[in-house]
Amino acid sequence: MSQNRVVITGLGLVTPIGIGNDTFWKAAVAGKNGVRPLVQFDPTEFRTKTGGEVLDFNPSSYLTDEEIERMGRSSQFAVSAAKMAVEDAGISIGEENPYKFAVCMGTTMGEPQILEKGVKIKYKTGDASDIPSDLPRQYPCGTIPANVARTLKTKGPIIITPTACAAGNYAIGYGYDLIQLGKVDVVVSGGSDPFSGIAFTGFNRLLATTSDVCRPFDLNRNGMAVSEGAGILILERLEHALARGAKIYAEILGYGLGCDAYKMTIPDPAGSGGIMAFKKAIHNTGIALEDIDYISAHGTGTVENDKIETLIVKEILKEHACKTPMSSIKSMIGHTMGAASAIEAAACALMIQNNVMLPTINYKDPDPECDLDCVPNIPKEKELNTVISNAYAFAGNCSSLVLRKYKG
Amino acid sequence: MHSKKIYITSSGIISSFGIGLNAFKEGLSKPPVTSAFKDFEFHSLDPAISCITVNGFDPVAVLGKKGLRLKDHATKLILGSFEQGLKEIMEHTDDDNRPGICVGTAFGSVQSIGDFLSDSIVNGVNIVNPQAFANTVINSPTGNTNIKFVARNLSTTVSTGFNSGIDALIYAFNYMQRGYIEAIVAGGLEELSYYSMLGLQRTGLISSTGKGLPFSKEADGVVPGEGCALFLFDTEESMKTNNRTPVVEVVGTASAFDPSLAQNGQSDGDVAAHVLSEVCNDAGISTNDVGFIASSASGNRLTDSIEAAAIKKVFDTNVPVTAYKAFTGECYGVSGALNLACAITDLKNGQISGIGNSYSCFNSIPLVFSPIKKDNTFCIVNSVSCDGNCSAVLIKNVE
Repeated sequence: MSQNRVVITGLGLVTPIGIGNDTFWKAAVAGKNGVRPLVQFDPTEFRTKTGGEVLDFNPSSYLTDEEIERMGRSSQFAVSAAKMAVEDAGISIGEENPYKFAVCMGTTMGEPQILEKGVKIKYKTGDASDIPSDLPRQYPCGTIPANVARTLKTKGPIIITPTACAAGNYAIGYGYDLIQLGKVDVVVSGGSDPFSGIAFTGFNRLLATTSDVCRPFDLNRNGMAVSEGAGILILERLEHALARGAKIYAEILGYGLGCDAYKMTIPDPAGSGGIMAFKKAIHNTGIALEDIDYISAHGTGTVENDKIETLIVKEILKEHACKTPMSSIKSMIGHTMGAASAIEAAACALMIQNNVMLPTINYKDPDPECDLDCVPNIPKEKELNTVISNAYAFAGNCSSLVLRKYKG
Repeated sequence: MHSKKIYITSSGIISSFGIGLNAFKEGLSKPPVTSAFKDFEFHSLDPAISCITVNGFDPVAVLGKKGLRLKDHATKLILGSFEQGLKEIMEHTDDDNRPGICVGTAFGSVQSIGDFLSDSIVNGVNIVNPQAFANTVINSPTGNTNIKFVARNLSTTVSTGFNSGIDALIYAFNYMQRGYIEAIVAGGLEELSYYSMLGLQRTGLISSTGKGLPFSKEADGVVPGEGCALFLFDTEESMKTNNRTPVVEVVGTASAFDPSLAQNGQSDGDVAAHVLSEVCNDAGISTNDVGFIASSASGNRLTDSIEAAAIKKVFDTNVPVTAYKAFTGECYGVSGALNLACAITDLKNGQISGIGNSYSCFNSIPLVFSPIKKDNTFCIVNSVSCDGNCSAVLIKNVE
């Protein structure tokens, strides 16, 4: 099915453990915990007091005052990460055909802080006309890719797939398809979500949030950590990248999507959607099961997710499952919602480049129902050629993305 | 050339014209009915807004009482749309071959999102109903539909503002061209909600006279509308295997982004013109082959003038242009899909609907005011949004 090979040539990251590739990578290798007592969001009324916040994000480092004024935090994250990724890729968009550049983004909540701000103004003053007239324009999630594209001055297709917590993988997958179909040469792809009071409230009410830190696959795991961030990957047609002498992090081999079609907020205990996504990813890329060196888990730290994800991997990999490490970086950065799988894909690219598997931190007690190698607490060196990144979501949206070391 | 031929073989629609595609023929022959929209469950708009609401949709009558309590209006619209033939297709297809679902929406279930937030502010974060949280993700209506029909092959939501519906059609088209799936139900969805209406009111996009005048230099804004329009996309093989009948063939798609329009609200229309040319190239036809253009003009002078400039650049005044939003209102995320339904109706009935009393248009484009009887083969469904998105789908009539 493949016509054009697609490679990753640039990365941009905004996460609770660091901004920028180098800072993020060093923090992740060190096992830094980004799930901390909340500072910017007041959790007084909630049972959960921790989460992941990007405390050192200063939009002025990446955006003009005018841009900051007209963008929500999700767009600010996305545009900042996109600028980092473009710089990392070394592409001069102004010297290329702008119609050959696409922007594909994913998100869960879009710009919830804008809606929260508007509604709070209305309740505070009792007068909806006190809502600034330029505020509502910032709310629709379609503004996120639009802000990226207008800042980078690209003219190719733009899209955002708000497919909840698998959205980053959906966006990367669609970007991959646009290059495969010959529509564009370069795609700025990824995901972005700011810390959302709506999401924090909702997950608290569902009793899905951890009381302290996120400990995926641990026997005593007690929930996910609401977090924020953005991850951007520059996807590029291989010939285009080679022609300009770009450095290549990894190749994208393809992806697979599936859906539990079970419940909105509860994953299918049988893992039907995850199994379908994994199977499709293998089918679409033609890789062999024994080729998979590592799996980046969705690994939220909830009792159900981690148990079902283990089941999915065992169902697919059979006897290879116990030999295939699977860790969750959500243990360090929390659950960044629609950005999660994009950040994880970027992390996979860095892991492939460095031949290091990032750890699952906060791991103490093994759970018999999550008995795969979760790379506990300390990173491990391993020659990584083929990796899979899983992401699952509300409504049962499931995705698996396959990356491979570029070897010419 | 595309690797696969893609046909539209069925549809499910709830619109201001009524239920189903069959309601469009009569609907396109009459002026729209607007109503003052003011009161919601917890809020009121001041002043009221003239809107065009869906007609004849009683969720309980269509969907039954069971399971509706926690479904919001947007979800009811999409589930209701499936009841017109799509439901049988979903239910009578085995799990492996069941069509995927891809829906475009600008605001999603924003009424539910805003109400969840309002509830947490008014009553407290520890009182708000946790079951209502499920409706606060933008993909909630699509996801609920996947759940209802156990549709596991694909669940995608697309959101690109006013272009969401047409971009969902393009997503589905591309996904099928890649060979991932043989059939997708694709289209758009938008609900009239307090929060989106308030936002648009504050932004100054809404017509104070309650008259949407597409392409008019005198237009004072848009008349909001709502609805859901879904189409079954089938590959040729899937269509034959399932013994389904083609309505139209989707022969080309194109989309681009106008950073200048997004940046400062100014554009020479070059990007929108690029899309119009590109969709013809993608379909492998000449611009001379296009029978008519289903524009996205709505009464928003900014985007209407840019779309007019683009049409003029590519087609001069040689191709008739219609503007179905004069009938449906500006339905945001569903508007592209509703325009497709209108265009199919006109193609099938050998006509181009006229929008009524004539007036002076931007760039003197040949807007159709009185209906034209003419058999056409190709039609472009176009969309230009104030966010800078420009997209088009080219369809071919199939006898």
